[in-house]
Amino acid sequence: MDDRNFAFMFYGFLAAWVIVLGYVISIAMRESRLRKELDRVRQMIENRQN
Amino acid sequence: MREKLIYAFSIVAMALIAWDLYRIFMVLPDEANQGAIYRIIYFHVPAAITAMVGFFVAMVMSALYLITRNLKFDSVAAAVTEVGVVFAAVNLVTGSIWARVIWGIWWTWDARLTSMLICWLLYAGYLMLRRATDEPTQRARLSAVLSIFSFVDVIIVWKSIEWWRTQHPAPVLSIRNGGGMAPGMESPLWWNVLAMALVATCLILLRMRQEGIRRELDALRRYAHAL
Amino acid sequence: MAAILYLRQTLAVAGKDLRAELRSKETINASLSFALVILLLFSFAFDPGAETVRDISGGLLWLVFAFAGALILNRSFARELMNDCLDSLLASPTSGSQLFLGKCIANFVLLMAVEALCLPVFGIFYNVAWTRQAGWLAVVFALGTWALTVIGTMFSALTVNLRLRELMLPILVYPMMVPALMAAIQLTTVLMTGAPPGSENAIWLRLLVGFDIIFTILGIGLVEVVLIG
Repeated sequence: MDDRNFAFMFYGFLAAWVIVLGYVISIAMRESRLRKELDRVRQMIENRQN
Repeated sequence: MREKLIYAFSIVAMALIAWDLYRIFMVLPDEANQGAIYRIIYFHVPAAITAMVGFFVAMVMSALYLITRNLKFDSVAAAVTEVGVVFAAVNLVTGSIWARVIWGIWWTWDARLTSMLICWLLYAGYLMLRRATDEPTQRARLSAVLSIFSFVDVIIVWKSIEWWRTQHPAPVLSIRNGGGMAPGMESPLWWNVLAMALVATCLILLRMRQEGIRRELDALRRYAHAL
Repeated sequence: MAAILYLRQTLAVAGKDLRAELRSKETINASLSFALVILLLFSFAFDPGAETVRDISGGLLWLVFAFAGALILNRSFARELMNDCLDSLLASPTSGSQLFLGKCIANFVLLMAVEALCLPVFGIFYNVAWTRQAGWLAVVFALGTWALTVIGTMFSALTVNLRLRELMLPILVYPMMVPALMAAIQLTTVLMTGAPPGSENAIWLRLLVGFDIIFTILGIGLVEVVLIG
């Protein structure tokens, strides 16, 4: 395979993947935060009902 | 059910991307002038297509929300727009890197890159608006209107910046030289469009599930405070 | 008959806004001072020699108008928040679209006034003979200002109830304005050189007119959703 500009191509692909993976990680983090909050509110409701 | 769908989509998407990467790196011959960097087009263009289709879908969903007032449509619109912004960012960054290689400058006021930048700003504004509005119904209503305005503007921006650029000639990023791509080189592009669309769909489904959790959370919170 | 009533009520809203503004003059003073200060600052940023100024004249002017206009447009719906004026307006027999159009007209008049006052100052500071194509200039200014006003008033209504209103309005409005600004800038630059807009610039004129029509219709259609729900 042609080696010209290989480094830049690598950076390009790396950048694309980093952006997408970064987004996936942010989704995952947000999801765990939401679930924790959901559990907390459910707990609060149970406490109030008892 | 939704879980299984997400897993299925992601597996198919990953398989497709792996096969595409193999084709792009191993099978394709080299382009005469640009060296290895040209292969980045196979991600640059599909990202743009996915983003734009996403923005169109978001507008349709926003209109459907305004008609039916069902918050599910709002969730879809928000998820699709967010994923669209991510793919637009991929398009901008890969385009910038490509420009750096070909013309030695990080940015060029080429028609397509400029239009995509404006799109990105418009929809980043949409995401900011959603963050600035707390009340769910108000948030859905305002962002729906913004989504419709933004897409209409997107169409106008693309046409007008094309005219602007043809009047002031500048280095033009010839993405598709009017069908000048050799036949064997074009098909991975379209396969990659499919692959990216699948990845986007996965992300959208994940994001929508999150919006569902968020809605449930809002409802429970209201109930908890009422007790 | 209904059309005349519609027009009368719209003009009543416009008149109310203009009267309120002309009595206190706070927004128009702020906007005008801001515009003049930016013009002054630009003259330090770029050397106002003859050649380059004519090339950037359109861009310079329209940037000034866009920034100064944001002040006017922000106040447009924000001034109704106190004492529940917005709620009473919405409860009145005037429809949302009449409220929107009335405010657009009022903002248009105010912004045109600011522009008309800026133009001689610009001509003096930068030594640009803008009077040669005054007729065409008026047309271009009117079309461009209407584009600014329509988008700005719509988003003023959209952001009126948000916490970060003053921040969100520019962020949302400026990207959306880009096509109209571009067209206005191209046409103004051509007119500043003293030449009438030729056939190669007709496309920009068409773009401005199309932009105005499309977004006015869109605004009239969606403003009630934004204000009322």
